Amino acid sequence: MMKTVGKDLVSLRIEIIGISLIISSLAIVLSNWKKVPVSSHQAIVSSLVGSGLAFGVSIDVDTLMKIVESWIISPIGAFFLSIFVYRVLIIGISKIPPLKAERCIRYLLLLSGSVIAYNTGANELATALGPVVYFGLLTPLQAAFMGSILLWIGAFLLSGRVVETIGKGITALDPFSGFAAQFGAGLSVLLFTTLGMPVSTTYCVIGAILGVGMLKSTKTAKSPFLKRIFLSWVITPFVAMVLGYVFARAFLF
Amino acid sequence: MFKGIRKILVGGEKEKEILDLIREHIEILSEAAETLKIAIEADDPSLSYDICELERTGDIIRREIALRLYEGAFLPAVRAEFYRFAELVDESIDLIEDTSVYFNMMSNINPEIRDLCLRIAEINCKMVDYLYHAFDSLEKEADLSDKTIKLRAKEQEIDGLKREIHSKMVQIDIKSFWEGYILSNFLDNLVNISDKIEDAADVIQILNVSLR
Repeated sequence: MMKTVGKDLVSLRIEIIGISLIISSLAIVLSNWKKVPVSSHQAIVSSLVGSGLAFGVSIDVDTLMKIVESWIISPIGAFFLSIFVYRVLIIGISKIPPLKAERCIRYLLLLSGSVIAYNTGANELATALGPVVYFGLLTPLQAAFMGSILLWIGAFLLSGRVVETIGKGITALDPFSGFAAQFGAGLSVLLFTTLGMPVSTTYCVIGAILGVGMLKSTKTAKSPFLKRIFLSWVITPFVAMVLGYVFARAFLF
Repeated sequence: MFKGIRKILVGGEKEKEILDLIREHIEILSEAAETLKIAIEADDPSLSYDICELERTGDIIRREIALRLYEGAFLPAVRAEFYRFAELVDESIDLIEDTSVYFNMMSNINPEIRDLCLRIAEINCKMVDYLYHAFDSLEKEADLSDKTIKLRAKEQEIDGLKREIHSKMVQIDIKSFWEGYILSNFLDNLVNISDKIEDAADVIQILNVSLR
């Protein structure tokens, strides 16, 4: 994962890394503040490409296309995987008493949360730190250690606002839908991570929640929120790339 | 730390405490319904004091349930339903208490409607038994529909008796405003107990569905 973003995509220079990471972190903090889930992958990859273009370094178009494809395919994969997980789960729990089902789902939610947390380290963190490691600023171990500490601080300080949007904004989640969505998204991210593709956990979770929501009823998915999320999905890479380019040009000037 | 790990792996202590408290709460309701039935059967209004005592115990249990739920038992998605259930059981006990208080204020139940009132009190006791079994089934059985259907059938029986009482009530000779007021409130509360028990059974059904 670190290799795809840190080595294959753009021929790195320290200025490109600096500009890209500053723009990405600003975009993520601002969108979290506005309660809009934004993909850190999209912000990092797009700002790397934008600033790379400004510096005139070579960009591997094949790698970029593969990454963009995975941005589209992974939420669709999560959509169908979550439907599959939900169907299997419902068949399984219909045969056990409700309170035993409640206990069961508590363990399953812990499991799916763990899968997502693992993916965040394996995929999200790797995307963010790939350029830093491949430029030799940190060893993979140092990057993993520092990244996990900062990940915890971020989750502690800022995650609450996005949790609200994801948990309540798109569709009302019962525990079983919550598990199916989270586990479906986790499986999708795990699959793409294994293939070495940087995919967005955010959009996989959204695709999965939408899958479960639509399975239960198309009316349960709240369209204004989806519109906002879809816009952010399209706008984030574009804005990050433009900002990366503009900042890099300003830096060169 | 080991306690935390144990909680994740084994868990369920808070949940067990709440389930035990709810069972105890239903048992209090059963005792109150039974006492009211005996009071009507034996024409003994003094038993209303026992019912008031049971009502106070019921309140304490409801508060305890709320506190334990607030401490984090069960998934947040179902906590509200558990508390709603405890509230409805408590409201049923309150209604039994009010009925017994009005019964205490009456000199006696008019013979025209006495047997019908006793029949309602008996059905209320039966309904509480069904409610207990329905709640117990949340932990033991996958399908609860037959338990709640039985309850609804009993409630319909009470609706029939209520209509019969109303038709006989108009023929009763009422000597003063307060005599009529007390009789009317006694009957209203008596027939409303089953509605609350039915509502509590509906919450069990909602819990069942929300965990599917």
